[in-house]
Amino acid sequence: MIDGEGKKILVIQTHGVDTPRRTYSPLFYAMAAAAMGMEVMVWFTMDGTNQLKKGAAEKVKLDPTSDVTLKTMLEQTMESDIKLRVCQQSMALWNMKQEDLIPGVEILGATSIIDLALGADHVMYY
Amino acid sequence: MSETTEEMRGCVIPKDLYYRVEDHTWVRVKEDGTLLVGMTDVAQSMAGPILHVKARSAGTQRDRGKPLATVESAKWVGPVKSPVSGEIVEVNGKVTQDGGIVNKSPYGQGWIVRMKPVNQQAELAEMLTGEAAVEAYRQKIEKEQLKTCVHVEGFDGET
Repeated sequence: MIDGEGKKILVIQTHGVDTPRRTYSPLFYAMAAAAMGMEVMVWFTMDGTNQLKKGAAEKVKLDPTSDVTLKTMLEQTMESDIKLRVCQQSMALWNMKQEDLIPGVEILGATSIIDLALGADHVMYY
Repeated sequence: MSETTEEMRGCVIPKDLYYRVEDHTWVRVKEDGTLLVGMTDVAQSMAGPILHVKARSAGTQRDRGKPLATVESAKWVGPVKSPVSGEIVEVNGKVTQDGGIVNKSPYGQGWIVRMKPVNQQAELAEMLTGEAAVEAYRQKIEKEQLKTCVHVEGFDGET
């Protein structure tokens, strides 16, 4: 196993609830990296923004036999000490305000992604 | 159920082990002074059928709280946090080959690593064992509304 402990991983999620099959895996990989001791952040932009709207994630359930929803995945992600950030400009395009977001997500300006990407040891883009 | 084991909501909690209940890990002190470390019945049930266990290699030094291994199931991935500080001296090759062994025998064949502790006395004193461990787990199960433990066929809850 490659030792990535202490490394910074940035996961960029551009897909949202309209493509539900693209929602779980980035979070799963983020949690795997965190479980290995890496510092992980997930940046939501473009359609990814709509995952974070209150009431949206619980409607996404890929396995009908399981009680796991996208809401579960997002909660587990935050419980793994993974930071969730959302693009402010993407929020505007989705007519979303701070109060529309699920708790625990921080809003950052679009150009923050540049610093975040430069500061990460690796960027995983979905 | 033996006298040394408690069961609640179907979850087995051997009283002769030491636990960090918050991390769902257990420790067994071996005669040679090393410690076996694994995840509890509650943890294996929450994880579901385990697909992979990837452990840090022997020789790795770990502070308490640092990941010893990563456990993956279909619905969950998370760390096994080291309950003590020390060196990993052996990784259980059986569980890295077949993660399902952790589901089947979390306290027996499903141990994950063997460690050589550096601060055993002090750190074990901060862990829970016996009735105290059982009570702490009872409270955790109640507070977090954890589900009844699910066991695979052939489950062995003995140490």
